[in-house]
Amino acid sequence: MIRVTGTKQSKQSKISLRKEFQGWLLTSPYLIFTLIFFLIPLVYSIYLVFQRWNLISPRPTFVGLTNFQEALTSPRIWQACLVSYKFIVLFVPLVMAASIGLALIVHHLPKLKALFAIGFFLPYLASGVVSSLIGRGILAYNGPFNTFLRSIFGTSPDWLGDGNLALLIIVVMVVWKFAGYYALIFLSGLQGIISEVYEAASLDGANAWTTFWRITLPMLYPAFYTVLILAVGISFSLFTEPFMLTKGGPEMATQTWQLEIYYQAFEQFRSGYGATVALINAVVTLITILIIRRLVEAWGRHNGW
Amino acid sequence: MVQDTYSVNESTQYRKDARRGQARRRIRLRNHGYWLYWIAVPVFLLMVLPYAYLLLQSFAPWSQVDETFFPSTLTLRSYEWIFTGGGFEPQPWLNALFNSVLVSVVDSVCMVVIGAIAGYAFSILQFRGHKLINNFILFQMFYPAIILLVPTFLVIRFTGLYDTYWAMLLPYLVSLWAVFMYTSFFRSVDKEILEAARIDGAGELTIIFRLMVPISRTISTVIFLFVFMDRWTNLLWDLIVVKDPAKQTLSVLLSTMFGPYGTYPGPLYAAGALLTFPILILFLIFSRNLVKGIQLVLR
Repeated sequence: MIRVTGTKQSKQSKISLRKEFQGWLLTSPYLIFTLIFFLIPLVYSIYLVFQRWNLISPRPTFVGLTNFQEALTSPRIWQACLVSYKFIVLFVPLVMAASIGLALIVHHLPKLKALFAIGFFLPYLASGVVSSLIGRGILAYNGPFNTFLRSIFGTSPDWLGDGNLALLIIVVMVVWKFAGYYALIFLSGLQGIISEVYEAASLDGANAWTTFWRITLPMLYPAFYTVLILAVGISFSLFTEPFMLTKGGPEMATQTWQLEIYYQAFEQFRSGYGATVALINAVVTLITILIIRRLVEAWGRHNGW
Repeated sequence: MVQDTYSVNESTQYRKDARRGQARRRIRLRNHGYWLYWIAVPVFLLMVLPYAYLLLQSFAPWSQVDETFFPSTLTLRSYEWIFTGGGFEPQPWLNALFNSVLVSVVDSVCMVVIGAIAGYAFSILQFRGHKLINNFILFQMFYPAIILLVPTFLVIRFTGLYDTYWAMLLPYLVSLWAVFMYTSFFRSVDKEILEAARIDGAGELTIIFRLMVPISRTISTVIFLFVFMDRWTNLLWDLIVVKDPAKQTLSVLLSTMFGPYGTYPGPLYAAGALLTFPILILFLIFSRNLVKGIQLVLR
């Protein structure tokens, strides 16, 4: 008896040992990658923010908190911060409205839903380089859009030459890119609402407006929450569009965090300072997202969603 | 909440059923919904308008580029310029296209393969420590990637990989998102199929690529398309790690040719078309299950 149990146990432990081994073996590509491209850079970034290093001198010098001091008093950083909040104020409501609108259109179409969903989604596939090329072309001073405006109003703005307009252009381009993608998130929310609920509402005499505010929107709350966080995250990580179109100008009106990091770390070759700006960017993003989450959750709880 | 409010009250069930039938008929009469196309079609056209502009300008005669929306004649001169090297100076456009394809294909295939393998290990094998790693992946996904940009660049420099293909390839071999998606998808796979395969003597790799990946075809397609698109449209990383024009990707080359005094707008549009339409076509080819698949992924 004892011997039999013994072999059974050893056989089982052999199997589980094999399972352990296979598990770690199959995980190893991920683990090696994570070590080299996550853990080492993670630790290294903590070291870097206390150093001054232009990459030419053989080794960095320890400068304590000087990098933070410089960053927090730099008008370039404050401008990036301001622009990112301006961007949130413009971009988030616009992209929300647009994507909910697109989702509602697709959801209520009697036929060809998939075709329109994909059509609205296509802008998401545009690379920022190409959409900047197109945007600059259409809005060029003597471009087709301005020619059209002049033929009607007799005058036309210099789109990328004016700070506020340039920011607005970038907002519109990013809305164009993401609206159809977020619409898919809202669409799966809409499809989760069973038609019985609408029928019951219409029985109780609810009109379209009430139905939208009292049923559709509350049911979309989870999707709303997801999209909001995603959109705020994007507002803090703009690079390609301003890099291509304005380089942060005119007069830093489209300055962004990533432009500043790129400029400091890869044009001025100030690795330590660049890493510091990145850290501050991440902290600001995190705090903003936490605050917005709290607000939205409170709002949801207030409405009993 | 609303559902609770309207949940069926037993006593009025019959009456409600009768009225509900009426209501349904009324809704059907009132809302054919076909008027919605008066909104949907213009919005659709507005969304694809920039792509139409890109395509038209890439075929426009050079004197008309960015002058008018509809050029009077169409010409292939911009594409000729790109494919033949532009006449007097060898332009690396074709080379850049090749680099983009190479980098994107290698990376996205690796992301899918490694994602499937790791996802399988985390969801099915459940070796000791898999929970810890799962939580760590979530941490990684939420960790702000921007912090890692400068130190990763320095790692590439130290290892002497700066300005090589490896610098572009290596940091994108693994997609955390792909690992995460496969892990959560494989969890829902029926374990009995796996046992059956094991009894038939199939090894773990056979199970992954002959059984698991085919089962998850829809989601694998979507994962591949998304990571491919992500890699294909990358600008920042490829811009900072490669300086040699012969190794630049199409995005990087296009961005360096983009200056305010860019002399050849026509070829820029042709290059932009080459950067855009392969992705569009790829997505449209797989569009049959795309919406369903994307929603599966987004959930």
